[in-house]
Amino acid sequence: MPYQLVWLIFLLPLFSFIIIALFLRPFLKSQPKTAGYITIAALTGSLGLSVWALMEVMATGQPLPVPDITWAVVDGLTIHLGLLMDQLTAVMLIVVTVVSLMVQIYSQGYMKGDAGYHRYFAFMSLFTASMLGLVLADNLLFVYVFWEMVGLCSYLLIGFWFHRPSAANAAKKAFIVTRLGDFGFLAAILLIFFNTGTLDITQLHSLAATGALAGTTLTWAAIGIFAGAAGKSAQFPLHTWLPDAMEGPTPVSALIHAATMVAAGVFLVARTFPLFSHSTEAVTTVAVVGGFTAIFAATMGLVMTDIKRVLAYSTISQLGYMMLGLGVGGIAIGIFHLFNHAFFKALLFLGAGSVSHATGTFDMRKMGGLRKIMPWTYATFLIASLSIAGIWPLAGFWSKDEILASALENQPVLFILAMITVFMTAFYMFRVVFMTFGGSYRGGDPEAHGKPHESPPVMVMPMVVLAILAVVSGLWNVTGDFGAFMGHGETHSFTEGFFGILTHSLPWISLMLAGLGILLAYAIYSARWLSAESIGGMFQPLYNLFLHKYWLDELYEKVFVGRVLLKGFFAGLQGFDVYGVDGAVNGIASGAMATGRAIRKAHSGQLQLYGLFIGIGIIVIVACVYFFG
Amino acid sequence: MFSETVFTPLFLPELTLLVSAVVVILLDLFVKRKWWLAAVSIAGIVVSAGFAIAMWGGDSQSIFFGMMAVDNFAIFFKLLFLVIAALVILASTDYVAKFARFQGEYYALVLLSALGMMLMAATTELISIYIALELTSISLYILVGFLKDPKSTEASLKYLLLGAVASAILLFGMALVFGFTGQTQLGEIAAAIQSLSLSGVVSSPGLMLGIVLMIAGFGFKIAAVPFHMWVPDVYEGAPTPVTAYLSVASKAAGFAVILRVFYSAFGIPSWLSLDWMLIFAILAAVGMTVGNIIALTQTNIKRMLGYSSIAQAGYLMVGLAAVSFLWESSYRGTVTGQGGLLFFLASYALTNLGAFTAIIAISNKLDSDLIADYSGMGKRAPLLALALTLCLISLIGMPPAAGFMAKFYIFSGAVQQGLLWLVIIAVINSVISAYYYLRVVKVMWLGKPASATRVPSSIALRVALAISCLGVLVLGIIPGFVMKLAEMAAQMFVS
Amino acid sequence: MVGLEHYLILAAVLFAIGLYGALAKRNAIIILMSIELMLNAVNIAMVAFSRYIVPLQLTGQIFAIFVMVVAAAEVAVGLAIIIAIYRHHKTIDATKIDLMKW
Repeated sequence: MPYQLVWLIFLLPLFSFIIIALFLRPFLKSQPKTAGYITIAALTGSLGLSVWALMEVMATGQPLPVPDITWAVVDGLTIHLGLLMDQLTAVMLIVVTVVSLMVQIYSQGYMKGDAGYHRYFAFMSLFTASMLGLVLADNLLFVYVFWEMVGLCSYLLIGFWFHRPSAANAAKKAFIVTRLGDFGFLAAILLIFFNTGTLDITQLHSLAATGALAGTTLTWAAIGIFAGAAGKSAQFPLHTWLPDAMEGPTPVSALIHAATMVAAGVFLVARTFPLFSHSTEAVTTVAVVGGFTAIFAATMGLVMTDIKRVLAYSTISQLGYMMLGLGVGGIAIGIFHLFNHAFFKALLFLGAGSVSHATGTFDMRKMGGLRKIMPWTYATFLIASLSIAGIWPLAGFWSKDEILASALENQPVLFILAMITVFMTAFYMFRVVFMTFGGSYRGGDPEAHGKPHESPPVMVMPMVVLAILAVVSGLWNVTGDFGAFMGHGETHSFTEGFFGILTHSLPWISLMLAGLGILLAYAIYSARWLSAESIGGMFQPLYNLFLHKYWLDELYEKVFVGRVLLKGFFAGLQGFDVYGVDGAVNGIASGAMATGRAIRKAHSGQLQLYGLFIGIGIIVIVACVYFFG
Repeated sequence: MFSETVFTPLFLPELTLLVSAVVVILLDLFVKRKWWLAAVSIAGIVVSAGFAIAMWGGDSQSIFFGMMAVDNFAIFFKLLFLVIAALVILASTDYVAKFARFQGEYYALVLLSALGMMLMAATTELISIYIALELTSISLYILVGFLKDPKSTEASLKYLLLGAVASAILLFGMALVFGFTGQTQLGEIAAAIQSLSLSGVVSSPGLMLGIVLMIAGFGFKIAAVPFHMWVPDVYEGAPTPVTAYLSVASKAAGFAVILRVFYSAFGIPSWLSLDWMLIFAILAAVGMTVGNIIALTQTNIKRMLGYSSIAQAGYLMVGLAAVSFLWESSYRGTVTGQGGLLFFLASYALTNLGAFTAIIAISNKLDSDLIADYSGMGKRAPLLALALTLCLISLIGMPPAAGFMAKFYIFSGAVQQGLLWLVIIAVINSVISAYYYLRVVKVMWLGKPASATRVPSSIALRVALAISCLGVLVLGIIPGFVMKLAEMAAQMFVS
Repeated sequence: MVGLEHYLILAAVLFAIGLYGALAKRNAIIILMSIELMLNAVNIAMVAFSRYIVPLQLTGQIFAIFVMVVAAAEVAVGLAIIIAIYRHHKTIDATKIDLMKW
């Protein structure tokens, strides 16, 4: 097939957006379902083409030569509209199209009957098109254009239920916070352009490799790019928008705020990785910020009671892992985790959506006992949780151990943080599992519709598909195939195969930590009552009963006090998050407003005062010219 | 020779516009259907634009004994003013129909001020620059007061009195420049300054004072802080189509004349251009910041766009500042700064016209300019709201609208000339500005509509809006063609 | 002996008086008159420069004539606007005409 077809991967969802926005919405309002069907059809096409493109790239081992067109000529600089269809892009295309397609199918059920059904699918199509454009773009200017486009779509979709003020505020916050990082990106683009005269990614790679772009310029450019990536990928300290972004519809969270857009930051760093790898400072920054974010976000995930917020902090933490992987290992290691994470995290969000569809709430304290009522949701959610906890042989295990191994090699301190995070991840995920699915049903939302029930097949089917992927996607690198494909022959890969990996000690340690986390969650959230009863039944003597009681009380108190303390500590951390970081952002905004209110008083409506300003202005300029000229 | 210099075909664009203005006034006396007036005005503009296009691409020529230049730079601006005037006339038809009388005068004044602006972009001699500027200004004073209600007359008085003070200051500056060089032709002024072989500003304080006074006089036109104070009041009070016209055309004319005067007359020696470059750079930084910060607090959309235009003037002055380092930098001979300025002006013109056209339609129905009253406009007038959203996105400088390319282009020029600090301030300002522009978008799409009635709009207005929005998108997505034109026009600066 | 500098000082003083009047007087018509004073100060400077710097040309004088013509047009429009202001605001006190502010 001709390589021009690669263009269609990006154009199909774009057409879908145009058709829905310009034709379906005005003319076929009575049949909302068509919007969903068109989106799904377009994405199926994109997925097919992406698979084909991946096969071609695998077969040739080279970027596909996709013909490009000239876009604009700025003062001697020709900007081509071109696509870079290399290994990285091929992998990203699969991630975006698969997750997007599954989410669209799921949305058919989740968004059923919503007044904004057309609008929803129009935005989703536009988002997918922009995201595909972002991964396909062959120069930084276009990456930036699509970068802003996905941000805009995210803004529109977070605020989708705009009648909730919290949704509208969250949308605004997401937009403003990510733009803080975007300065850095834009500044880096300008810096690169004026030092090299090109924004073409392939050329930049070779410039960095040959040393034509080096020194502080390179470092600052890389740090600027990383600032943009940190904003998009919610890395500390620009992470605060992501938990709030959960106000959007859950499938949106699954697609944009778990699998694709937030991963765009990781992708960007990978895309421009040669700029990082030739600057020790830059690559260390990436690793440190990533490692710190991973553990920092995980601690907050421990205390949340809103299921989506737990998942949001988990996403931030996992994105931190990816950054750490890029920083200590390289493209293949970071992107491999991105690849696996996309599937299981999207699945977790779809599961959370399914649960709330049934119970009408996201508050885990009102759930419980859904294992029997929603067996499919439970099974898939459990698989995803095991995968993210890094249990052999699920997908998360393979990519996480690669990152840990590289961290051990290069950054021992970060390795320890990452190991603690492994434990926490397992704990908070299984806390969610036990609170949501274990025990007995605690009523859900009092105003919700009747009894909880399993979601319709149209929602279950995508979850099953993603669950299968969450099991098998990690197998790609069992013998190092993924690393070889990405062309970065990683030195620290475990390539001994399916069982061979278990001959090393590191996987065992991480497995044990994860198992410990699960066990603790089990002890606290599921087995506590069970064990109390059985122990009570086993020990008949009064003495033993007292002792037992005493022991239970002590345990109880320990757990309680421990939990309160823990809660206090982590709530404090979260408070810093809300009042410190947010406060700074809000402070700048309100400071600007206050300044504005003060200065506008000068516009008193008195025209002679205005004239006086002209006079004073002239005097000041003349004085400056004479004293400094 | 006499006949050749007076009746040169190179003057046909201006002549056509003058004739059509007179025809419109006369026609007003006879025709009952007033849409004829708009039609004749548009026809005049089209013919004038046709003549201008025919001259495009030729060598630079000088007419009227060297008082006027016919070069690509002038033609670029002439076409820009003609497009703006045409769009304003299209957008005005509804609005003007509310006046019982004086419709002919309205269109004629729009045409005459456009004529004045075309002359501003083309004249190369101080006296004719002054006359062109006053032709523009006096027409605009009347247009601002056209509504004859308290706000409109107040705006007109403020504009007139402050404008007159500003032109007196400009004249004083011109007098000083004339006095210290003995010339009024821009080229000869430059030659005279060079022959003085000055060593720095201190060696000729009178000349420098003259230049500063001229900056103040022109700064008034382009709404540079601190000469900007009239802008919000006048924008709020003036009839909305006139506000649109003022905000783009009058500003573009100011930039055209500044570019020509400062480049041709005060370009060399380099310490001189460094001086005024630095003045413009500082005015740019202050202008952007003041405009954006006050705009944050505004509740009236016209007034908000007034402050926004002060900020946009700041971005434009970044382009002015980037022009003059030419002699110092390794990028000597490139015209990114100038080309960026011209491209920015074109995209800003389309963007602001689009925004104001949407506002005209909405305020026709609402009789209010309060942002709060735009609540739920996405439901009441989806296409108008969509167009306004696009224009606001362009004003922020987000892709895929024209504003993004324009900012990218103009900031590129500034970075090339080593003005990184200014670009950083500009980028921070763009982010601040996103806040108040998006507030309007939020109110329109996420607010509750005050009533369910639709907002009507006339065909002419829709055409104007469609052209503006299409232009915004075309300049944002396929900017190559207009960039090429802007660069051809800017070649004047390096030839 | 009266030289160029005397004319220039006269022009500068007149210009300053005019500017002061424009900024300090409350009556809109007096403001307009003050602006005329500023323009006439410029005219004096123009003519003086022309006489002393380029005595063989009439550039400054021509400039002055154009300035007068334009100033007359400006005053005509200005007076008309002041009349309109009086109709709507019942005052021509510039400090009381502040419907629009902030």
